[in-house]
Amino acid sequence: MKFSTAPLTTLLRLMVLAAALSVCVAHADDYTEVNQLIRAGKMADAQAKADQYLATKPRDPQMRFIKGVIQRETGKAADAITTFTKLTEDYPELPEPYNNLAVLYAGQNQFDKARAALELAIRTNPSYATAHENLGDVYARLASQAYNKALQLDGNNAAVPPKMALIRELFNPIAKGQRPVAPAATAPKPETVVATAPGSGAASLTGPTSAMTPSPAATATTASPPSDGATADVQAAVLAWAKAWASKDMKNYLAAYGKEFDPPGNQSRSAWEEDRRKRITGKKSISVKLENLAVSSSGMKAVAKFRQDYKADSLSVQSRKTLELVKTGDRWLIVREFTGN
Amino acid sequence: MKHKIFALSLIVATGLMSASANADGKKKRPRAEATPAARNLTADGIAESRLIDIYRLTGAGHTHEALLKAERLVQDHPNFQLAQLVYGDLLTARSSTLHNLGELPNSMLKNAAPALAELRHESQMRLKALRERPPVGDIPSQFLALSPRNKHAIAVDASRSRLYLFENTNQGLKLVADYYISVGKSGIEKTTEGDLRTPLGVYFITSNIDRKSLKDFYGSGALPINYPNVLDSKRGKTGSGIWLHGTPPNQFSRAPQASDGCVVLANPDLERIIRTVEVRTTPVVISPKLSWVPPHSAQAEIKPFEDALTAWRKAKSSGNVEHLLSFYTPDFNSNNGKTLNEWVPGLRSELNKTRGRPIELKDLSYLRWTDASDTMVVTFGEVAEGSRNGTTKRQYWTRQGHQWKIFYEGIIG
Repeated sequence: MKFSTAPLTTLLRLMVLAAALSVCVAHADDYTEVNQLIRAGKMADAQAKADQYLATKPRDPQMRFIKGVIQRETGKAADAITTFTKLTEDYPELPEPYNNLAVLYAGQNQFDKARAALELAIRTNPSYATAHENLGDVYARLASQAYNKALQLDGNNAAVPPKMALIRELFNPIAKGQRPVAPAATAPKPETVVATAPGSGAASLTGPTSAMTPSPAATATTASPPSDGATADVQAAVLAWAKAWASKDMKNYLAAYGKEFDPPGNQSRSAWEEDRRKRITGKKSISVKLENLAVSSSGMKAVAKFRQDYKADSLSVQSRKTLELVKTGDRWLIVREFTGN
Repeated sequence: MKHKIFALSLIVATGLMSASANADGKKKRPRAEATPAARNLTADGIAESRLIDIYRLTGAGHTHEALLKAERLVQDHPNFQLAQLVYGDLLTARSSTLHNLGELPNSMLKNAAPALAELRHESQMRLKALRERPPVGDIPSQFLALSPRNKHAIAVDASRSRLYLFENTNQGLKLVADYYISVGKSGIEKTTEGDLRTPLGVYFITSNIDRKSLKDFYGSGALPINYPNVLDSKRGKTGSGIWLHGTPPNQFSRAPQASDGCVVLANPDLERIIRTVEVRTTPVVISPKLSWVPPHSAQAEIKPFEDALTAWRKAKSSGNVEHLLSFYTPDFNSNNGKTLNEWVPGLRSELNKTRGRPIELKDLSYLRWTDASDTMVVTFGEVAEGSRNGTTKRQYWTRQGHQWKIFYEGIIG
């Protein structure tokens, strides 16, 4: 079975470490600068800046990671594989390099290697939603290959997964993927590094944690009791969102997102909606449980943080989730969504 | 037979659950995949027992272990299509629930429906044969009496897509192995050349064709059988070139109905048979559905035939041609195509040579084939008293009411 490299790659979410691992603000500025160059498509400048930084701090995991992303974005897959492989050797506790290795392997149709890398990513961090979702895609591709061999089909007739639209946009330089997500200061632990993704990679902000049960089971335990009307309204909005998700009620699910909602990666709103529709309605059953829901609000803005226990068919992912909401009329609508603290 | 209900619908839907019934001790050979020897890729039967082990693990809910084993199985046998299908399913099961064997994406189903149906059929047939094991010690009813010269015997059960290999020991026939097989595209009961059917009847292996002289398509070699036999020819059946043969390089096994009439085995299984059996003396019974009986259970039923055979021997010993001819049917044919009248002079000269000396039947074997009529295929060495050498003869007897009559006689070997 032969897959074209490009479409598959786009299926997988390439992750970029956005926040500092455990470094000071000055370093964070360097990362930001390189990421801005990447977003602007100035890959050569980004590469030069990264190399310059690494000349003084050759072991720095964050910049090495960013360099790997640059290599991958500039078509140097072999170099990127080397970079990420060395990162996994030096920092075996970080799941992201495994994930990106998997994306690179998958891009070369080396699905067995991709699978092995993703399984390591998950072993490193069992609630690493992006790796779970990528692994699902890799399993599907391996299954497809096996089915083709079983039925002796021409690989060209093989099932083309339905997420191709996303993929073409992947090769656009990261337009908005590098948004500094969440208050970086509150994310000091390397394992909980906030990740955003270039292109479809940003699906990690929404996608992977998507889990599903047919009979909607969206529940929440709130850590802090509703203190005022706004908080209670925000809680209700978040619960309604989770319930719509679990019930595969796409109308109400999508309606929970405001017009300002910035779809992950380079996606248009409609492409994002289509992707969500496919991912959610494609599941046989989804359950979304929220725990430790904490809401803080000021004026027309609110932030909801919670632990999300997502189950979809045989997939089960626990992760931290943050929603930023804005009051629009009398409704609280989601304008940003990301995994992590 | 006990049926154990497993959680996974995959198992239920395909009847895989019953594979676990092998645990009842009737399984041919315990071949745990855990042993290093189990990865001996050229050993017969191993690939199937590994597949069944994967089914069993899946049925018991150990899908992770099943996946690992399936991965190894397809690494070892990339051309084992059914194993690839199961491997694909186990991968699919990592992210969604399985309902059936061959859980293909819809986009693939369009082109694959016939091939998928064949693989499901193969799976069902393999499991059916393992679920419906012959009772221990029983033998196919056709094997009434085998001589020590028949060191092995083969019986094919089309209803189970299965070939059973026996060794004829001092203690009688012993089942030593059985294998999944394919028959003709149009099934069984061959009557006409080109009808893509596998013949039914009692046959013998006539030769052993070296794989080097064959196209890859036939795999590890070929063992032709004597279709059409005397009964077939008498009935006007046509066609030729019915073989037991192997599989092409791109297929570990073929669909249950796939050949032009041959019996097709996986190459490791065929290789074991080629190594084991003897040309000319190994009978091959091909039955729509084997009936298994305890050895010697049919003795009483067969007494009329044995009495007739004894009476024939005595008649021949007596040298009385007229009496002897009463044992033959009017439509008798000899092996050189002579009618009874044309054959009598030869019989007379044979009787003149023995001059009334008693004859003995050595290494007597008889195989019974019952369909619309009742036929006995009898093979023996005929030796006149005082002679050192005799001739090996084969007779075909038919039952007419309570009487058994000879409709064919010839010297073989």
